Amino acid sequence: MVVLRAGMCPGLEEDLIRDLRAADIKTVEDLVSSDIEELAQKCSASYKALFAIRRVLLAQHTAFPVSGADLYEELLSSTAILSTGNPSFDKLLDSGLYTGEITELSGGPGSGKSQVCFGVAVHISHQLKQSVIYIDTTGGLSAGRLLQMLQTETSDTEAQMEALQRIHVFRSFDIFSLLDCLHGLSGGGLQQASVGGGSVKAVIVDSVSAVISPLLGGKQNEGMSLMIQVAGVLKTMAKDFNIAALVTNHVTRSGGWRAAAGPRRVVGSHPQNQSSAGAAGGGRGALQSLLGHADQVLQTAVFHQRAVRPAVVESLQRRNLWKEETGRDRFLTRAN
Amino acid sequence: MSESGAQLFARLEARRCLKEIEPRLFPEDGGPDHGEVVELYGTEGTGKTELLYHLLCRCVLPKAAGGLEVDVVFVDTNYSLDMLRLVSIIDSRLNPALSTSSPIAGSDEEALRSCLSRLLVVHCSSSSQLLLTLHFLENSFSSRPGLALLLIDSISAFYWLDRCEGGASFAKQEDKLSKCSELLGRLLRDYRITVLATCHALRRSHRGTSSDSHRPYLCRPWQRLVTHRLLCRRQEAPNNGSAAAGSSEEQGRRQVFTVHCTSRGTRAPRSSSFYVTDGGVEFT
Repeated sequence: MVVLRAGMCPGLEEDLIRDLRAADIKTVEDLVSSDIEELAQKCSASYKALFAIRRVLLAQHTAFPVSGADLYEELLSSTAILSTGNPSFDKLLDSGLYTGEITELSGGPGSGKSQVCFGVAVHISHQLKQSVIYIDTTGGLSAGRLLQMLQTETSDTEAQMEALQRIHVFRSFDIFSLLDCLHGLSGGGLQQASVGGGSVKAVIVDSVSAVISPLLGGKQNEGMSLMIQVAGVLKTMAKDFNIAALVTNHVTRSGGWRAAAGPRRVVGSHPQNQSSAGAAGGGRGALQSLLGHADQVLQTAVFHQRAVRPAVVESLQRRNLWKEETGRDRFLTRAN
Repeated sequence: MSESGAQLFARLEARRCLKEIEPRLFPEDGGPDHGEVVELYGTEGTGKTELLYHLLCRCVLPKAAGGLEVDVVFVDTNYSLDMLRLVSIIDSRLNPALSTSSPIAGSDEEALRSCLSRLLVVHCSSSSQLLLTLHFLENSFSSRPGLALLLIDSISAFYWLDRCEGGASFAKQEDKLSKCSELLGRLLRDYRITVLATCHALRRSHRGTSSDSHRPYLCRPWQRLVTHRLLCRRQEAPNNGSAAAGSSEEQGRRQVFTVHCTSRGTRAPRSSSFYVTDGGVEFT
């Protein structure tokens, strides 16, 4: 909804707005949907002027159609695949996290979702030298654990500190501060975070269900609306800034979230010694990945895998590798 | 309002009819005609998007590859268009014989580009923007006679936002979508396009019966527009063990979806089922 104001476009003067208000035309939508001829008589304004105003306003506020071919071209040149640092996990995800997409990790408590997030954050900041935004909604992020993971990668303290500096942590424990944080990031926070070093390539939200699930249920609509707003802003950010979004969700069937966020790949992770028999024996080609975290072996299976033709992935990788070689950008793609 | 001769011609010249868009889906000789609206309805994970991509591919593919070769506008209301997936499907339709591992050759790339150039994509982020964009698209419809199909994925994306924004008044909550529907109705009449929209089924927390969730909930003006309703369902896997969460890729491939098509009028409903492969939808 955009309220009509004087000076929004040439010809839209204060008194014309008053006349329009009197004719119950308050917003751009009202003006665009109304019959201009009738309106011109009602407001005793010139038809031509109103028509021109309508055209300008429409051009200002509409979304522009883009040709599919251009969109594909842009996608190929801008999409990067971020390796997660774990070869088998990468294989599971079509060679890594794709920028411009939301990847969701789902699983019960203690199934290693956060550990996977830590691992991804550490890998991107240390190996790929890119910044990571880590939004912690549960208070579960431990800097000590991140350092511990870094120590296994390198013994150079300076490199460890550099890597830690590239992980920007935000804490928000309710949906409003999460929304505030995401909006802040879209509106300049991302550029700020990339000042120190590599640009921001990943946003991790651990966990998204912790702030959303308390709002759902009951007969109120606010919860649904807020959830969809979170999904929307996250998705827009991922697309507009070419960022890979990784979210965790412990609720396996959460109504509208999947519909609204449309996460590309849902990875169920669960401790191997528990219910893994099904995943392991569930079929011949069960893609599995063993993630050695702490002393527990976790097993994950993608059960909502997008089937992209290998040729497309290959060509994406080729393009991005080429970029890497020419030094124009430092995306890292190749998983193994 | 005056219109130029070229505009008049574009408007009145017979647009391509999409009756044969997918004969396996609609009742015999009952495909969507000029000015008709098809609604794909179902909860998430019931194959709506795959079906949409399938129909989209049928439209943009060249006649040589069994397509209709018409232009399509894709209104993406929740950033759901997965270009990589769409390209994969088009690619597999263009060269069904090639093995999946072969890299994209130059000539294929050319054909792919020409398919994609028949597609126009618009991203909308609010219902008011959707309304303005539909107004704006009127120009495209009048200037491009090749445009025969308008896809909206999904029409229900702003439902909750509007419900929340509209305050207590029910009419106000539905105001935007009603206006969009009225405008669509006019576009359908004036430009004889076909509209295909997806709609997410609501999951009611206090539902009494399961059939309740398939009740249309969008505003009346939209319901009046819909001529064909495709109800998508996921067929329960026969040997669905306790490992639903960890269901393997293999099982996912064999997942069968059913579509139940009901059309307005006397035409009998029809059910069909499909499964999803790397190359898109395969009907069984």
